[in-house]
Amino acid sequence: MVQSKKQRYLFLAFCLVPTFVFFILFTVYPMINGLYLSFFNWSGTSAVKEFVGLGNYKELISDPMIPKTIWHDYFLVLTKLVGIMILATFFAVALTQLRIKEAPIYRVVFFFPNIMSVVIIGILWQFVFNPEIGIINSGLTMIGLESWTRPWLGSLEWALPSLVLPSVWAGIGLFMLLLMGGIMNIPKSYYEAADIDGANSWQQFWKVTVPLIWPQIKTSIIYIVITSLNGSFVLVQIMTRGGPSDATEVMGSYLYTKAFSDFRFGYGATIGVLILIVSLITVILLQFLLKREKVEY
Amino acid sequence: MFTTFLKRCYILGLFILVFGIITACSTAEDGEVSQEDKSSESPNEENGEVSGDFEIQYFVGGYGDTWWKEVIADFKETYPNVNVIEHAGPNINDEMKTRWISNDPPDVVYIDGDGASETQMINDGQLMDLSDWLKDAETDDGKALYDIFITPLEEIDGGKVYSLPLAFDTWGVWYDNAWFEQEGFKVPEDFDSWMDSMIEIKEKSGIYPFNTTGNYPQYFQRGVLYPAFAAAGGEELLNDLLNGKVEAWEREETLEVLQKVQKMQEADLVDPAFAARSHTQSQMNFLMHDNAFIPVGFWLPTEMKNDTPEDFEYGFIPTPMNNAGEPMSLVPDLRPVAIAEEAKNPEAAKAFLEFIFTEKYGQKFAESTGAIMDIKDVDLSENENVPTFLKNINDTINNPDKVVVHERKTPEGDDLDISIKISDEVKKQIVPLLLGKIDAEEYIEKIIAVAEKAQK
Repeated sequence: MVQSKKQRYLFLAFCLVPTFVFFILFTVYPMINGLYLSFFNWSGTSAVKEFVGLGNYKELISDPMIPKTIWHDYFLVLTKLVGIMILATFFAVALTQLRIKEAPIYRVVFFFPNIMSVVIIGILWQFVFNPEIGIINSGLTMIGLESWTRPWLGSLEWALPSLVLPSVWAGIGLFMLLLMGGIMNIPKSYYEAADIDGANSWQQFWKVTVPLIWPQIKTSIIYIVITSLNGSFVLVQIMTRGGPSDATEVMGSYLYTKAFSDFRFGYGATIGVLILIVSLITVILLQFLLKREKVEY
Repeated sequence: MFTTFLKRCYILGLFILVFGIITACSTAEDGEVSQEDKSSESPNEENGEVSGDFEIQYFVGGYGDTWWKEVIADFKETYPNVNVIEHAGPNINDEMKTRWISNDPPDVVYIDGDGASETQMINDGQLMDLSDWLKDAETDDGKALYDIFITPLEEIDGGKVYSLPLAFDTWGVWYDNAWFEQEGFKVPEDFDSWMDSMIEIKEKSGIYPFNTTGNYPQYFQRGVLYPAFAAAGGEELLNDLLNGKVEAWEREETLEVLQKVQKMQEADLVDPAFAARSHTQSQMNFLMHDNAFIPVGFWLPTEMKNDTPEDFEYGFIPTPMNNAGEPMSLVPDLRPVAIAEEAKNPEAAKAFLEFIFTEKYGQKFAESTGAIMDIKDVDLSENENVPTFLKNINDTINNPDKVVVHERKTPEGDDLDISIKISDEVKKQIVPLLLGKIDAEEYIEKIIAVAEKAQK
């Protein structure tokens, strides 16, 4: 039975209207409202708002904390990206190509952090880094490296790098599964052909696996970047609250401090607009840099 | 036929969903109308009788809510025509935010905890000016309400009074009295004796004697720096510094205070892991005798009640940053109650304030919260339910030769914005100073840079 035009449109509306309504309400409206609030001096707790035009933006440009927070954000993005992509790819290849008997168990184990709340992850890692009872300092002491022990989250130099570890640990599982899906779709005959042509495992990985799972790699990279720029804040807030001093302050945690501790919601909204712009520019640049012809063998 | 029915159900469902969301998201106007209707239905004062709905918002933190429950129950009994509606909890400031934003606040608010700031509320015009009412207002004990407070009521904007201080809390330094007596450690009375005491403790016990939380540098800011500034230059220096007056930051006394902090760090008396710790972690270390002194407010014993070892005996002293021979300084951290400017039942709100500021509730406050209610003439010495440390504190506070109380005044006008920026910078530089990454001069330079920029 051929569908009438009306029926087709009705079906399309059935699929699109709810999504569109939710998108307008929960994405477009808050975004426009955030932009609107950035033009006001507002405490965020009263009905009194004072229009200040571009005042908040002028302050943003001259705020010495902003370049610092952007640098901290990008440090986390880059280290997370490298850490997650290398480890996730390694585990994905290992679990699909090396015929490990316990592969299904490892898959669950690696994915486990993804079903945990970030808050729990933050608290858990606070214990791991604890100067007295933490496993890191205890482990270092046990293997005779006591001089390496330090209050990791209380060090002006080491606090930010310390946040990379939980971020990578929590991120591997999801991207590993994504890459595994890609690898499992590659026909075995390609590897057999490569074998016959004399390619070793390393060459097979670079010449067969990577080009064929490039769409998954690209998606993973963009996803990691976006979620890090918008979401590093949660881990920072739980583990260090932007400290010690301002050593781990990221754009999101700075926004939170300004909006909710200093009662400067308008300025907080301005930082929110900055996060949006920075994320957009980064994603556009990434799309451009990661552009590749689709490979088919 | 069945498909048409499904389609209708779908469209109807979608309509209900959108309508529901829009209604839920609607603000201000709708809420205001319904509240006006409600208040017109319930007369607040009939023949001099206080009545109607009365809403109260109070934060429940370290002090618990026992006192509030008891007071509200007694108030209901005294005013049976008043329907008290309580909004309480540890997150109540966030939960009630939308009510305040839409100009539909509760009648009385207790300002305490995260997300609530008296200064901001005054600045936003959310609190009622009580000055006219206070001229004749009397407590249920028959005393003039205006005069009963330990700390004089703060008049701002040319004589306006926006709040009444309920809890007299203050920051100071805690130690374990039993342990000190057992080991023969000396309780300091000034900075020099504090240094001597800490050096002795370090030598005898091998611990870092001083600890604070690096996650919340405001503990050191309020617990050590504020009383130190006040002890060095009185209320004027304290307020000028915090309002970003550059000349105040350039004064010799200011440098001396920060050099004292530097001295503590250089003598290796500060726990090097402090910067990694939250307030509860640092307090736990203190209870386990990993450290001997910690700057916290009155709420420490109540907050750590479940973790305090049996033989631990809380001892409290105003932070001994004063020079030898000079009195110690206390900068109270007052937690006020206020009536909302847009209160719908101001008569009940006023009756409630007159009702709570009595000796009876002052005694109960000390019993259940472990802090002091900010009213005079409450003799705690005979009350067996009040913890000993609180009685000692009460005696100390009332000894002006030993301790002087200085107040941090509410910043007004431009000072408000500047003071927020200064406070942020003061907090930010505490960790580097205590870690020895910057010295006292560099600390001051950084604050002056922020102050000069903020003044422009």
